[in-house]
Amino acid sequence: MAAVKNNRAIIAVNRFGLGATGTELSVAQHDPEQWLLQQLVSPVFDKTLGDTQSAFRVIADLKAYKRRNRQREVKSRDATKKYVDPFRDGLFSDSLDLSITTDTPFSIRLFDFFSNHFSVSGSNQVLAVVAPILEREAIAPNLFGQFADLLIAVEQHPAMLMYLNNEKSVGPNSYLGKRSRGLNENLAREILELHTLGRNGGYSLADIRQLAMAISGWSFVGEKEVEDSGFKFRSRGHEPGTRKILGKVYSENGQAQGEAVLRDLARHEKTAQSISYKLAQHLIADQPPQQLVAAMTKTWTKTEGNIKAVVTTLIKHPQSWQSQAQKFKTPREFVVSACRAVNHSKVTDQSILKIALRGLSSMGQKPFAAGSPAGYSQLNRDWMGSDALMKRIDWVNLLGRRSRQDPKSVVNRIFDTQLSPLTVRSLAGAESRAQGLTLLLLSPEFQRR
Amino acid sequence: MADKDNKKIDRRNLLKAAAGSFIAWHTPAVFSATTKLFADIVNAPRPKLVWVILRGAMDSLHAVLPLSDPDLMLHRKRLVASVKEDTFDLGGGFALHPAFKELNHLYKQKQLTTVVAVESGAKTRSHFYAQDILESGLPKMDSDSGWLNRAVEAYQGQSLAIAHTLPLGLRGTQLSKTWYPDSLQPARDDLYERLEVLYKDDDILSERLAEGLKNRQLLAAMKKLKNKYSFPSLAASCATMLADRDGPDCAMLELTGWDTHQNQIGRLDRKFKELDQGIAMLRENLAEQWDNTVVVVTTEFGRTVAENGTRGTDHGTASAMFIAGGAVAGGRVQGRWPGLSAADLYQGRDLMPTSDTRQWIRAILSQHWKLNAAQLDYVFPTIKTIDAQLIRPLSKSMTAL
Repeated sequence: MAAVKNNRAIIAVNRFGLGATGTELSVAQHDPEQWLLQQLVSPVFDKTLGDTQSAFRVIADLKAYKRRNRQREVKSRDATKKYVDPFRDGLFSDSLDLSITTDTPFSIRLFDFFSNHFSVSGSNQVLAVVAPILEREAIAPNLFGQFADLLIAVEQHPAMLMYLNNEKSVGPNSYLGKRSRGLNENLAREILELHTLGRNGGYSLADIRQLAMAISGWSFVGEKEVEDSGFKFRSRGHEPGTRKILGKVYSENGQAQGEAVLRDLARHEKTAQSISYKLAQHLIADQPPQQLVAAMTKTWTKTEGNIKAVVTTLIKHPQSWQSQAQKFKTPREFVVSACRAVNHSKVTDQSILKIALRGLSSMGQKPFAAGSPAGYSQLNRDWMGSDALMKRIDWVNLLGRRSRQDPKSVVNRIFDTQLSPLTVRSLAGAESRAQGLTLLLLSPEFQRR
Repeated sequence: MADKDNKKIDRRNLLKAAAGSFIAWHTPAVFSATTKLFADIVNAPRPKLVWVILRGAMDSLHAVLPLSDPDLMLHRKRLVASVKEDTFDLGGGFALHPAFKELNHLYKQKQLTTVVAVESGAKTRSHFYAQDILESGLPKMDSDSGWLNRAVEAYQGQSLAIAHTLPLGLRGTQLSKTWYPDSLQPARDDLYERLEVLYKDDDILSERLAEGLKNRQLLAAMKKLKNKYSFPSLAASCATMLADRDGPDCAMLELTGWDTHQNQIGRLDRKFKELDQGIAMLRENLAEQWDNTVVVVTTEFGRTVAENGTRGTDHGTASAMFIAGGAVAGGRVQGRWPGLSAADLYQGRDLMPTSDTRQWIRAILSQHWKLNAAQLDYVFPTIKTIDAQLIRPLSKSMTAL
């Protein structure tokens, strides 16, 4: 390969991509910016591996199995192993496989960002199966369109409705509310605090309650009717009447009332600011450059939240290309980039996928297990503890021993000549190829992007 | 932004000036060398502090039940009825949930104080904001400085977080360790030696590596427990590290899963048992160090006084805290009870806070670690110490130094 003259290509593949694989660096170097911008197309997932219907079919099977075995007192854990784990692990492996082999790594980075922005955790047997569906069904198809469409698709997805307890929330004056059940504010609160306006978004407790009423009745069918198990608006649980949120009045309009609120939230100035900031912080630096965030916010406002336009502004902004790497890779970024470094075929070895998943668990970033609707942290300090580093070392040691790659050619593929003399010397002094590769993947350069 | 940063620096400088002579402790090399020296000179136990944060907002009214409050049954008849007969009486009209066997035992030994109607300082029903305020101990959100970090800095001690990543409560200028059970085979020693060379010019990575290696050595001698990720096991490991002669002076443990919007009776029974067993593991594994230990258990806010429509409770305001340990002057329910009548509730729905969690922690830092007024102001700049004797006046922790 010819020497890479363009430092921006190295930034493009490592900072914005998922770490170079194959001939990516030489492809990117012709026009790094264009190489990134042409990637802004939604990833496509194999539906046969899992969608809402198949997820609820697993739940139906699980429940039937439990009923059949009621007398034998089967352990809940055995049922999980039989039904939940294979389905869930299949989805985890599939998305990791896509990340490792993709030739649009930038789109996957953005996909992972929004999947974490709308974090759902598999905190029980049902959610363990349903949570991983959210990103495939609601996020991927809407990734580069209007944020409003993405937002509505996410908030109406069974995974989110279940995770934040909206499926049983009914308005106090609705038909169902007058009988027994009541309003649950959880989803409404997180929509405002985490999904749109942000922590200091200027909303009140009254706004939260009003939004909860606007989306009361947003529910899903579930495993009782597998073929029709997705989103269902239950008008008998919807709070009747007009709502007033952030000073604006929304007249009664059934399911569309809540959707109208979400559309306004999606283009709100605070939403523009908070998600632009978060995106820049994720990609560029923990304290992202102010001008960059301002430019992104402006594009957001102008396009009423067109994600592709906002991302394009980020890529075209000079402050996104500072040569110093500011971000320490999160475990997922680290694991994926390491696997991309050692894997240069289009097919990922099953054993590599297993190792990748073990790595994510041991480093504390298991898929769909953030345990908080805020998702996993994207800040350096949260991934740089001493124990975290030790776990990173042990994992790379495991991976490095399985690879026959020549560290020198891996270096060429990822950094070309842009490694410190100390790292070059350390690699040259390694006792074996495996150790050389291990040292490369643990080098200060590879740990940052 | 720039304005905010300046303020931050000003506050820091101010606090550092107030804190005086312990600034030199910031350099990690000096830090560890001096600690070792210190441990050699004072071959005596040092007072230990364990902070357990319950994330998700514990329903305090189901943990410490105000059974003599005439309005309790009006709000949550079904929840109370499910446990009422089996509760442990604490006196003064309060009772502990039946799952708290260890806590009840400690209460009888006068090694447990429960404080009712406490807030975390943030009158908000947002988990994340309230947790941030509780962890930072500052009036405004500050995501890079936790109160325990400032406290251990003032105390000139070492701290440990049982977590994959450092929680806010222990973030800050003082270097804190994190630890979580290993799930992979450790690499060969030769690799670590090569990495020490490779990280020579990288301050952060070389510092983290040195720390990681030191911590591993410490843990190698520890007795192994089954189900190493459960809260009781994490508490046991934590206690083992704390009890070590060169072990840290304080530790932070997290227990999640308290956000009981639905079907909370069974869930809380399990959570309370987990917490209770965790406290028992701390006592067992701290062994003789238990006499010098204070365990503080706090949550970000309480839950609605009334049961909601899905057999759970929603986000509220005041909650309860536990102060346990051999160094504690316990056997009492502390805090003023605000009452549960409609007029007494905060915004007509929540338990009204009558004190701030951080006021009690400040009193503990004063009595247990002997931090002076300037140091306490450094830890909690806007909080006044509560007037209560929380630590045994003649405990070993008071006389060891």
